[in-house]
Amino acid sequence: MLIYLRKRIVSSALPLVVVIVGVFALARMTGNPASLYLPLNATQQMRDDFTARNGLDQPLLVQMADYFGGVLRLDFGQSLRTGQDAAAMALRAFPATLQLAATTMVLAVLLALVVGCWAALKPNGIADRISSFVSMAAASIPDFWLAIVGIWVFAITLGWLPTSGVSGAGAWVLPIATLLLRPFGVLVQIVRGSMVSALSEPYIKLARSRGAGELRVVTHHALRNAAAPALTVAGDLTVGLVNGAVVVETIFGWPGIGKLMIDSILQRDFAVLQAAVLLTAVAIFALNILIDMGYALLDARVRPVTVKA
Amino acid sequence: MTSSSKSPFPAALLKWPALASVAVLGLSGCSVANSDAGAASSNTVRVVLGQEPPTLEACESNLTSTGVVVRSNVTEPLIERNPTSGELEPKLATEWKATTDTEWTLKLREGVTFQDGTPFNAEAAAFTIERAVNSKLGCNVEGYVFGDADLAVKAVDATTLTVTTPEPDPILPLRLSFLEVVPTSTSTTAKVREPIGTGPYKIEKWDAGQKITLSSWDGYWGDKPAYAKAEYQWRSESSVRAAMITSGEADVAMGLSPDDNIGDLGVDYPNNETVALRLDANEAPLNDLRVRQAVNYALDKEGIVNSLYQGKHQVAAQLVPEGIVGHNAALKAWPFDLDKAKSLVADAKADGVDTSAQISLVVRSAQFPKITELAQVLQEQLSQAGLNVKLKMLETSQHLTYQVRPFSDDEGAVALMTQHGNQAGDAAFTVDQYMLSTGAQSYFGTPEFDAMIKKADAASGDERKKDFEDIFAYQNDKVVQFAHISHQTGIIGKAKSVKYTPNSSSGDELRVSEMTPAN
Amino acid sequence: MKSSLTEGAAPEKLPAAREHQNEKKDEKQVGQLSLFRLLLKDRFATVSALILIIIGLTALVGPALMGDLATKQNLLFANKAPFTLAHGWEYFLGSDSLGRSMLARLVVASRTTLSVALPAVAVALVVGSLWGVWAGYHRGWRENVSMRIADVIMSFPSLLLAVVVLYVFSPSAANIVLILALTRIPIYLRTARAESAELQSRTFVDAARTFGAKPNAIILRHVIPVVLPTLLTLATLEFCYVMLAESSLSFLGIGIQPPDVSWGLMVSQGRQYLQTAWWLSIFPGVAIVVTTIAANVLAAWLRIATDPAQRWRLALPRKRLIARIPAKEAQP
Repeated sequence: MLIYLRKRIVSSALPLVVVIVGVFALARMTGNPASLYLPLNATQQMRDDFTARNGLDQPLLVQMADYFGGVLRLDFGQSLRTGQDAAAMALRAFPATLQLAATTMVLAVLLALVVGCWAALKPNGIADRISSFVSMAAASIPDFWLAIVGIWVFAITLGWLPTSGVSGAGAWVLPIATLLLRPFGVLVQIVRGSMVSALSEPYIKLARSRGAGELRVVTHHALRNAAAPALTVAGDLTVGLVNGAVVVETIFGWPGIGKLMIDSILQRDFAVLQAAVLLTAVAIFALNILIDMGYALLDARVRPVTVKA
Repeated sequence: MTSSSKSPFPAALLKWPALASVAVLGLSGCSVANSDAGAASSNTVRVVLGQEPPTLEACESNLTSTGVVVRSNVTEPLIERNPTSGELEPKLATEWKATTDTEWTLKLREGVTFQDGTPFNAEAAAFTIERAVNSKLGCNVEGYVFGDADLAVKAVDATTLTVTTPEPDPILPLRLSFLEVVPTSTSTTAKVREPIGTGPYKIEKWDAGQKITLSSWDGYWGDKPAYAKAEYQWRSESSVRAAMITSGEADVAMGLSPDDNIGDLGVDYPNNETVALRLDANEAPLNDLRVRQAVNYALDKEGIVNSLYQGKHQVAAQLVPEGIVGHNAALKAWPFDLDKAKSLVADAKADGVDTSAQISLVVRSAQFPKITELAQVLQEQLSQAGLNVKLKMLETSQHLTYQVRPFSDDEGAVALMTQHGNQAGDAAFTVDQYMLSTGAQSYFGTPEFDAMIKKADAASGDERKKDFEDIFAYQNDKVVQFAHISHQTGIIGKAKSVKYTPNSSSGDELRVSEMTPAN
Repeated sequence: MKSSLTEGAAPEKLPAAREHQNEKKDEKQVGQLSLFRLLLKDRFATVSALILIIIGLTALVGPALMGDLATKQNLLFANKAPFTLAHGWEYFLGSDSLGRSMLARLVVASRTTLSVALPAVAVALVVGSLWGVWAGYHRGWRENVSMRIADVIMSFPSLLLAVVVLYVFSPSAANIVLILALTRIPIYLRTARAESAELQSRTFVDAARTFGAKPNAIILRHVIPVVLPTLLTLATLEFCYVMLAESSLSFLGIGIQPPDVSWGLMVSQGRQYLQTAWWLSIFPGVAIVVTTIAANVLAAWLRIATDPAQRWRLALPRKRLIARIPAKEAQP
């Protein structure tokens, strides 16, 4: 396992470099930030000064070499917008998104397992129809719309929750509920699908014939096999959350990496953008490795069961 | 075999994500969750802005998002413009006068100290001007207010300062009102995110991404403000800002939209912003004066103001609203006359102007409330007049490539929607940029028009006023680079517990000391 | 290392031999029922199919019929409430903030929405699947490189891509398609790779190989048919995702731009009127939800209907079906 882990980490290094080179090049295709940071009536001289001061007049390859030189010394450059250290800004924003994503995914997986199993007990039954309808509807509502309606209903009309912000436990409810729906909806479909298949496998019949209770059959036998695809999809969805919580962060004023990223893209704050992308990319690569390892573990435990059945 | 399997597998499976999330929450030190909930004490005023200030650097405080927090709260200028009367009033300078054509002498207030305990004197004032205007820092205020001109400053004695300009500058005191004074200990090589000033509040804490707290400073030279603390948060959705007022999470909310439905918690104020189309006369069909006039006739300004903005905006006849020196009260907005517009376009066509050439209507998304709707209305109305208009909604940076020089010349005709706010109170700040033939935001001009502008810039008093009034009239008669739409009205949300009357500069300089508890 | 990446993939994993056995059994049970008659037996699937056909037809012919109506403004007639025929049938769903007919706008938007979502899904599906199957079949370095490329795309901020494309090119539906397709390729790539990697060690693939079949022929004839149902189900889920992603881009100001109109853009623009004119954002939102659910229901049905091992479920009368399942499973 350790050898495998080392191999994966080594083989992830090159893609990371590719990500950074890609972001670096693409960001610079979005134009010179000078006019965003200078007054509207800035002279050409001021523009040239700005461009030179920030090294943007150098050829792209020279800029890139400089940047990688800096990265090796752990110097990720300065934000054009705030004048702060870019890496510090990214590191400060990251935990907020991570907390949000982790909590959301744990809840989504738990809920989806319960609902998905319940639905799979009687395929095409009432419970199945209702749960798949609800979960599909949940997965297809635009998140920003849901967030604004949520604020309107729960914060203004009912007054149960704060509208936004990060103070207190109540502030977590609306962002998580908004983020939760899509992963939940997708996972329910997946758990249900695998459970239906798993429940018709011969080893389940064997278990039933030995007098195992229904609940035990579901939780101890079928769920094991059904868990594998759910885990993978949950992994993909988590990657999506880490990368895409931007809408929720924007609306609720959540100081996370998604908001930081979109702000630095729109403000052409290249150093911050690069630091933020590098950080999320590392996190996503780590997550992928974890998922694969989890999968290998799961597989090792599941396999004997299926083979012997 | 299977049923005798011992390991309770699902439980083990579920443990992973649970453990992982616990670890994550633990490791990150709950940096998000532990900020104190609801500090709604009666001596704190809570303000919600549209965006986090990028910095609080004093020499960038002409930027709206920075100035709204720092100006007149943390730092103060030498001279201050009264946004209601338009008059200049003493602040850290008590009096000023022009001693020669190019030299101004300022008398400074005594007994003022900075928040770090050092005294305010002529040396600090001179340092501030040197740092903002003459240094290599690249301060935003330098380009915005002073252009290329360097100023010569001299501290004559502790309370006397002279400022010399390379050219005669009748509005130097007004320009100086943009400079927020900082102590000599401020860095000259780097911008300072949390400045020290002489204002009634000092920066207590900046939780990056979450909140800025100001607390009142005991050593302030003026009256102690009513609120001991001011808390700033930011939300980019205006409906969320409005909701925070309704739910009691904030006391003052900036930049609301008429559709946020905040009822009597919303307070209207003229925000000095004017919306207009800027027409590029270098390309067909806008190179023909009649087509540019047709654009003006084709726009139903009354209809737009009444239906999109609930009658709160005012139909505009020029780029500056009332209250700005040089505003021409006699100018009437172009009437809405579709038939006349059509016939003007037809006339131009008959004379060989290619009126079917495409005009790009360039608009910046989310620049102000309902801009998307406005853009679609303009497109429709111009099409009605027989013009071929293509709407282009762009993000800020892209929009800037159209807004300021150098303009791209492979775009065809461009009608650019511009929102201009003259926060200085003098038409020179508008006209130099928008109407000089070389102005940063001007497509074209004429030599005689340029001469009129140069003359007005150097004039003072009533003559100056008259000269600028003539300029606005001349633009509407002879030049027609602009199709004016409306003078805007801003809305701030205000909780019942706070007494505050917004004015035309509230969006750029929100004075917490003017707020008082209502009971 | 891994078996199946997506939901309900188990049937595809059945060894080929068993599949054939089941097929024979099913043929007897199902008889000569055509797919169409099977469809009519399932009410939900029938309704879904009808809805999709209507939406498809609307997108096809609607803009030609209602295009002018959708852009006709009347500022004095803004934000009129829906569900009344007082202003004529055009305004049955109310009017928007510029006095345009909501009905006509929804109809016109359906074409933009579908012409973004369908090509985006199709391109990502075709490219991602073929690539993934190829990588999984050959294993080795081809697999490794492909997976690392997938990692790169997945960890790349799609928002940046959107801004770049919008900046360098102009904001058009085609560019949104490009962005969405590119960023969603890894989803199919990973799934197809995993399935195909598993299949290539199976006996029937082995057999084909020993008989001297070329790799591409094996992929085409033996691997793709087995992997396809999983990928198609995934594609229907993605269809929903892509519509929502387009909507989110609109929210952030970097998606479809007016005067073009899509359901996502309508929801995004309508959100500011939530308290004064709810129908501006609710109707397009409902359109997205209904389309997605219909597509998913039909896909779920199609998946069962085309799967020989499961088709019997659909052939049974409803009552019996429900009674039958526990019975069958309780007495093996």
